[in-house]
Amino acid sequence: MNTFSSLTPLLIIVAGALLVLILEVFLKKEKKDYLAYISIVFLLGSVYAGLRFWNQNPSYFNGKLLLDNFALFFIFILAIATILVTLISIKYIFLQNTNHGEYYALLLLALSGMMIMVSSTDFLIIFLGLEVLSVSSYALAGLKREDPLSSEAAAKYFLLGCFASAFIIFGLALLYGVTQSTDITVFVQSFADPNLSLLAVAGIGLIIIGLGFKIAVIPFHMWTPDVYQGSPTPVTAFFSVGPKVVGFAVLIRIFQPYWRAAVNTEAVFAALWIIAVLTMVIGNLIALRQTNVKRILAYSSIAHAGYLLVAILSRDNAGLLFYLMVYLFMNVGAFSAVIALSKKNKEYLELDDYAGIGFKYPWIGATFSIFLISLAGFPPTGGFLAKFYVFSTAVREGLITLVVIAVLASLVSVYYYLRIIIYMYMKEPSRDITIHTENPALFFVLFLCLYGVLQLGIFPGNVLVFIKQAVASIL
Amino acid sequence: MIEIFIVFLIFGLLGIVLIFMNKFLGPSRTNPSKEKQFECGSPFLQKGINPIPIKFYLVAFLFLLFDIEVVFFFPWALIFKEMGLTAFIVMFAYIFILAIGFIYAWKKGAFKWEN
Repeated sequence: MNTFSSLTPLLIIVAGALLVLILEVFLKKEKKDYLAYISIVFLLGSVYAGLRFWNQNPSYFNGKLLLDNFALFFIFILAIATILVTLISIKYIFLQNTNHGEYYALLLLALSGMMIMVSSTDFLIIFLGLEVLSVSSYALAGLKREDPLSSEAAAKYFLLGCFASAFIIFGLALLYGVTQSTDITVFVQSFADPNLSLLAVAGIGLIIIGLGFKIAVIPFHMWTPDVYQGSPTPVTAFFSVGPKVVGFAVLIRIFQPYWRAAVNTEAVFAALWIIAVLTMVIGNLIALRQTNVKRILAYSSIAHAGYLLVAILSRDNAGLLFYLMVYLFMNVGAFSAVIALSKKNKEYLELDDYAGIGFKYPWIGATFSIFLISLAGFPPTGGFLAKFYVFSTAVREGLITLVVIAVLASLVSVYYYLRIIIYMYMKEPSRDITIHTENPALFFVLFLCLYGVLQLGIFPGNVLVFIKQAVASIL
Repeated sequence: MIEIFIVFLIFGLLGIVLIFMNKFLGPSRTNPSKEKQFECGSPFLQKGINPIPIKFYLVAFLFLLFDIEVVFFFPWALIFKEMGLTAFIVMFAYIFILAIGFIYAWKKGAFKWEN
């Protein structure tokens, strides 16, 4: 179905971004909170406009922009993530002196880039979306203008992001040379040929490397801890969810047809296998040594990319989508709890600051503990079920060694997640911590994320139905 | 195919060799006065790189933006007759977005040189 109305989710977001940008210069400094509420209205409108197309598969621009259920599912996840991030930012950017009105506009523009990425099978369009996402992200990372760490984060993200883009575009050029097409479904067909040209393998390898930067897998992870630490914390929450979710959406778009069409998948399979193992093992091991909570969460998000790659290897798209959804709630929740522990011009990020927090601020301590338990993968939280689905499918596909490594790696991860909880409940407070508690939007987000993590952990049935329909649409 | 590869290999390696040849073969005898910046024989008056006011950057940036805008008008004018109303709507959407950018820059004080 080729209809102009399939552009509405995207157009609503872009219109929202422009409106927020233009209102920003006319609003007084105290009233900039309104921008957040306006952007949430536009985000909800976009979600509604998108979900109306469920099961309808509309497209536009000769099928270059395709809103199948798969794309809609990801648009839904990403829009939810942006809503949560917008809500946790309202007080934060005011308290941390980053209240530049461009903030919400940049978030919306980054979301529009991600929406373009998930709703196309043409790699040139995906690249276009990637650039829209990246340019907004670089600016978001450097929004704490007075903080040298933030500038460093922006510069590092910019340089390595450009590097990743160069890899992707070079790989795309090689694949175009082989197949005369930039469409994924077409260039994957060239792997069905037994005398496969080396250029195609190099092309797909370069694209995997480029996407590897975006989803932060080892050995392409070097930027992650520094960028996550330096960026304003809500932006970090956004980075840890948004680009990662999108990167995996694109990987599924590539590998869903690739595993079926290709005659000789050993090389690519082995490369992904090694990347997954390195990511899980090294990511978790380095996290053990960190004392900054944002860096711990950064390495934890690297490790989670490894578990997600297991799902790519075992061709378990449903498990991957479920994992991403759980990951969204538990990671944004964990970062929200970190944001809750802040006051005017001061954030508490060192592990020592967390000593005794569990008794001083019981609600924050309890919710943070549940998110950490979920990240570690204990029942009855969503994190357990997500890992269980992914690993059990991998065992059924015969990837026993990989699953053993993954389980051992996630066992290691329990140490540093529980370490934060131990600091919160079992250590005597060594520093005097006071926080700004009047932050209803943030506590609402904590509640929503808690609800999401427990709902997905205990009654995942409804969500799984949607995920099945989403996965079925790209077969 | 393989010939091209060899050509690139040879000339690439040759380039690398020539770059480093200087360093290997040339004698390296330095002294402090040789390492100094050269400014017509006199002792140098200021550092090589001075901070430039960011306004120049802003003006250059805005010039680029609105200059590129005009470039898009030429192909549009060429096919305007064939596309008719569609072309009109598309171009006005484009101008509308640029106008928002223009108002934004104006209100932010990008065109104020003083201050």
